[in-house]
Amino acid sequence: MGNFLSLPILVIAAALQASLGKQILLLGGAPDLVFLLILSWSINAELEESVLWAFVGGICLDLLSAAPTGASIPGILIVIFGVSGLGQQVYRIGLIFLIGLVLVGSLVQQLIFAIIMATLGYPTLTLETVTYVILPTVLYNLLLVLPVYWFVRRIQRRLSRRKIRLS
Amino acid sequence: MRSWRSNRLLFFAVCMTLCSGLILVSAAGALAPVEGLVATPLNFIAGIFNDISQTVNSAAVEFSEIQRLRERNAELEEALAQFQAELVELRETSSDYQLLTSLLDYTTTAENQEFVTADVINFDQSGVLRTLVINRGTRDGISRGMPVVTNLGLVGRILEVSANASRVLLITDSSSFVSARLQTSREEGSVRGELTGNLRMIDIPLDAVVQEGDLVLTSGLGGNFPSDIVIGQVQSIRQFEFELAQEAEVRSLVNFDTLEFVLVITSFQPVDISVFETEEEGAP
Repeated sequence: MGNFLSLPILVIAAALQASLGKQILLLGGAPDLVFLLILSWSINAELEESVLWAFVGGICLDLLSAAPTGASIPGILIVIFGVSGLGQQVYRIGLIFLIGLVLVGSLVQQLIFAIIMATLGYPTLTLETVTYVILPTVLYNLLLVLPVYWFVRRIQRRLSRRKIRLS
Repeated sequence: MRSWRSNRLLFFAVCMTLCSGLILVSAAGALAPVEGLVATPLNFIAGIFNDISQTVNSAAVEFSEIQRLRERNAELEEALAQFQAELVELRETSSDYQLLTSLLDYTTTAENQEFVTADVINFDQSGVLRTLVINRGTRDGISRGMPVVTNLGLVGRILEVSANASRVLLITDSSSFVSARLQTSREEGSVRGELTGNLRMIDIPLDAVVQEGDLVLTSGLGGNFPSDIVIGQVQSIRQFEFELAQEAEVRSLVNFDTLEFVLVITSFQPVDISVFETEEEGAP
């Protein structure tokens, strides 16, 4: 069920990000809603489901930007494989764990996107990119992670309750 | 089927290979028709959100500006009386100007330009690229490279075109270069975009006289843009003795963040001069 939900949730999130992100720019950075949704989903989901979310979300983001399709996906994939590895070591998801995850994950995702774009010939790998775009985006992500995680957990709990009832 | 996916390393490698393939095929342009097709509903949804946010935004701005506008109105009424006196003097200047313009028209041939008006339906959401999407495409006669302007000056040029939408590369994008000319001194240079959204005119000869407030126009060199479209005004000049050229910070009159409508110049076809460059290089 989580697989089917990825499409409407991520399409709406990408569209929101593309239209509202411009209105609330902090320097050159805007909240990465799609990344936050995928990260929050992957914390309590199976790896295969998270990978599907990463592909759907990444493609939606790239279709709404000038970046080539797929450029946003490697960064997200690295983060969710990391989260999946960590998930096996951690019993309970705490606030500090979540914030740390978003901080490191956002930095990794943004930097890998910048590296991919630089490899393709765009002038994105500069100190200015880090200070003007990446750091404000990370700050926004830190501010938004709690409501996004709460929203995702509500959906996941409803789905698991329904699963139990059906079984 | 599930066994290979249970090996995390192998699963990761497969995913990354798939991704790399997707990026390379997309960057080569082979996916353009599919991307255009899939992006159409996405752009439609983004357009709806964009309309809603702009309506809310403009309502909020209007509400907060009412008080300020009242004060401004009083100031303007006072200024109006003063300007009416100046109007008489300006009418004299205007008649001189018309005379000079008719003389100038005698020596220059004006180009007839055709425009297509387009709505801005989406802005690029990644902070590093500065592009926007308009609701006109190949069906409306738009093709790649066509210049995009507003009544305030140059906006950019068409980067990608689908049937009913086009992506415009703004002149403020860091990969954008426009051949430019200073209106007063007629000195040439290039205007390039910066990550901060500002414009910088580079390669201005050291001996050129550049003044704050000078208008910067397209020069038409390189064949990418028609000449004499306003790009912006010189805001500050940077000149060092050890450099071979001077630079100027240019302020565009266009507010790229609040663009709602743009004009595409459809009568101008960009000229590909790369053929001549190849011949020159190959010549003995």
